[in-house]
Amino acid sequence: MTRPILMGAVAYDPKVVPIWDGIREYLKAAGRGMDYVLFSNYESQVDALISGFIDIAWNTNLAYVRAYRRTNGRCRALAMRDTDVDYRSVILVRNDAGINSVADLRGKSLALGSRDSGHAAILPLYFLKRQDIDTQRDLKLLRFDLDVGKHGDTGASESAVLNAVASGQAEAGAVGDPFWAKALEERAVDSDKVRLLWTTPTYHHCNFTALDSLDEARFGPWVDALLRMDYNNPTQRRLLDMEGLKRWLPAQTEGYRTLFEAVEEQGIE
Amino acid sequence: MTGPITTKIKARYDGEDLGASEGLLVAVARLLDPLVEGEALELTSENPSVPDDLRIWCRRAGHRFAIATRENGKSTIVIERGRFVRTLADPVEWGVRMQRRGDTIDMRDWQVGRHADIQEEAARGGSLAPRGAPLERGAPGIEFSIRKRSDIWANAISELYEQATSSQWVGARDIPWLKLTPIDEQVERAVCQIMTFLAENEYAALYVPARFIGQIHPHFTEVALFLTTVMVDEARHIEVFTKRALANGGGLGIASAATQLSLASLLEPKDFSTASFLLSVLGEGTFLDLLAFLEEHAPEQATREICRRARQDEARHVRFGIAHARYAIEADVRAARRFGSAVEARAEFLKSVSGVGALIEESLIIYSGGGMSPSSLRAGTGRVAALYETMHANRVKRLAAAGFDTEQADHMSRLHTPNFM
Repeated sequence: MTRPILMGAVAYDPKVVPIWDGIREYLKAAGRGMDYVLFSNYESQVDALISGFIDIAWNTNLAYVRAYRRTNGRCRALAMRDTDVDYRSVILVRNDAGINSVADLRGKSLALGSRDSGHAAILPLYFLKRQDIDTQRDLKLLRFDLDVGKHGDTGASESAVLNAVASGQAEAGAVGDPFWAKALEERAVDSDKVRLLWTTPTYHHCNFTALDSLDEARFGPWVDALLRMDYNNPTQRRLLDMEGLKRWLPAQTEGYRTLFEAVEEQGIE
Repeated sequence: MTGPITTKIKARYDGEDLGASEGLLVAVARLLDPLVEGEALELTSENPSVPDDLRIWCRRAGHRFAIATRENGKSTIVIERGRFVRTLADPVEWGVRMQRRGDTIDMRDWQVGRHADIQEEAARGGSLAPRGAPLERGAPGIEFSIRKRSDIWANAISELYEQATSSQWVGARDIPWLKLTPIDEQVERAVCQIMTFLAENEYAALYVPARFIGQIHPHFTEVALFLTTVMVDEARHIEVFTKRALANGGGLGIASAATQLSLASLLEPKDFSTASFLLSVLGEGTFLDLLAFLEEHAPEQATREICRRARQDEARHVRFGIAHARYAIEADVRAARRFGSAVEARAEFLKSVSGVGALIEESLIIYSGGGMSPSSLRAGTGRVAALYETMHANRVKRLAAAGFDTEQADHMSRLHTPNFM
C-alpha cells in the first residue's frame, strides 16, 4: 500500500492549521488520505518538494516558478483556486499626486510590498516596464520587505503600501487585487485620499505543485476529491472562505508566463 | 470579463458619485442577493474609480462583471449574479405585520408569520434565535434539555408576560421608606425575623427558575422571557425584605435550620414541571395568603406596601404555576402522579420538621397581635390559627384549578410543608 499524499503548506497565518486540518478531514471522509506539514517559508517548502520529502506543495506563483526552474520543468501544477486565475496587481495613487495616467507615474514614488511578493512587487514592476516606465530611473521605489519568505501571503506589506499612499509617504503603490477588493469591502480605503489608477493584465497566483515523478494514480483521485469541494456545504464553505476561494479548478499554467519572464528580467533567483 | 448583453437586468441602481468603499458595495451586494444566477444589476455611476473597483470586487464576490460603458462622464455597469448565495439560509419572510392593541404592540398578538408556528417538540440542534428566523446552515447546534412543549408551556403565557413587564416597580423608590419610624421593640423584632424568613424563601424562588431558564429551548421563548421577569421580581423582593430588616434599628433575624432544609428540598427536582409545581402552586400559593396576612396586620406603611407589592407579583407566579401544571396534566395525566409523588417525597424528607418553627410562629403572633401584651398575644394567636386554615383552604382551591380532584387536593395540601413555601 502506498503512503498517503504528504502535502506542504506555508504557515503564514494561524488559520492555516484549521484550513488544512479541515481539508484533511474532508479528504479522509472522501476516502483520500492526506497529511500535511507546515513550513515557515516557501524556500524550505520548495527544497522539501525537490528532495521528495513532500509529494505536493501548496505554492505561490513565485514558489512554483522556482520549483519549475530548479527542476528544469520536471514539475507540474495540479490544481488551483478559482481566485488564482485572473489575478491582477493594482496601482493605487494619492488623489493629490497629480497622477492621471500610468505615464504620470514618472518621477513619482511607488510603494511596493515584499520583494518576494509576485503580486505586490515583482509583477507590478514587470507590467509597468511594459507601459514604458523605466522602473529603475523613473520611479522612486519604497519597498516594504515584511514577512520575507512568505511571498506576500500575510498581506502585511500590502497594508503598509496602502498606509504609505494614504499618509502621503508615497505617491503611488502596488497591491494585489484581492487585497484591494477586501479593503473596499471593509471600507478601509479613504477615497478622499487614495484611488485605483490602473490594473495590470491578469496572471495566475497559487497552485498545488508536484514533481513529474509523482504517479497520477496517487494524485489524480486526490485532486478529483478536492475539485468536488462544495461551497454550498456549510462545513466546506468555512474552509473555502478561510482559504479565499469558492471552488478548486484544474491547474492552468499559461498565466505563469509573465512571472517566468519577470524573474528572469529582474534577476530573482 | 466583458461579454454580450444577453443578461436579464432585474435591478437598477444609480450610484451617483458614491465610491465603492463609501457604501456603494452595500447597495450592490444587497441588490444582487435576491437575484438568481445569471440575472443582472445595472448600475450607473459618475465616480471614475467605480468601474475598476467593481470589476475587482466582482472577482472576490464571485459575480460576473459583464460590461461597462462610459458616456458623458457616466458609467453604466452590468453585474451578473454568480452561482453562490452569500448566506446559506432560507429566504426571509416579508409582509408580516402584528395587530395593534390600542396604542401598544402586545406579545399576545405576536403569533404571526413563521413565528406563530409553535411545535409540540422543538427540534434537536437548537439555536439562540427567535422562533421562525431562518437559520444559516453551518450554525452550531445548541442542545437544550427542555424541548417538549408540555414540559414548559402555560396557556395565557403571553398575557402573563405583558402583565409582568408593565407591573415592574422600584424597591428604592416605590416603598414609602420615609414613613418608617421607630415602633414597639417587640414588634420590630418580629418584623425583622419575618422579613429575614421571607427573603430566605425568595432566594429559593429566584434560584429554582434560574436553574431551568438555560435549559429551555428558545422555541418556547414566551416561557423563558416570563421566567426572567419572575427572577427580576424575586430579586426585588429579596432586596426590599432585606432593606426592611436593616432599615429601622433592628437587623436581620435568624435563618433557621428547618427553613433551610425545607428550601433546600425545593432545589431537588430535576424536571421543571415538578419544581414549578412545588414552588409556584404550593409554595408561592401559600405565600399569597401569608403576604395578605402580613399586609393586613402591618405595623406601619412601609411594611404594608412591601407586602402588597410582593403579593401582586407572587399572584402572577402562582397563575403561571397553576396554568403550567394544568397544561402538563392535560398533555399527560401521568404528570399528576409525578406531582403527587414529589409532594409525598418532600413530606417524607421534611418529616423531622414539625412546624413553621418557634421563631417564625412567635413572630407572626406578636406581629399580628401588635405586641407582647396579654391581649395582643391572645389576638395574634387567634389570627395565626385562622391563617393556617385560610392557607389550607386556598391550597385546595389552587390544586383543584391545576386539575386535581378534591380528595387528592386535600391530601396534598395537608402534606405540604409547614414551612409555607
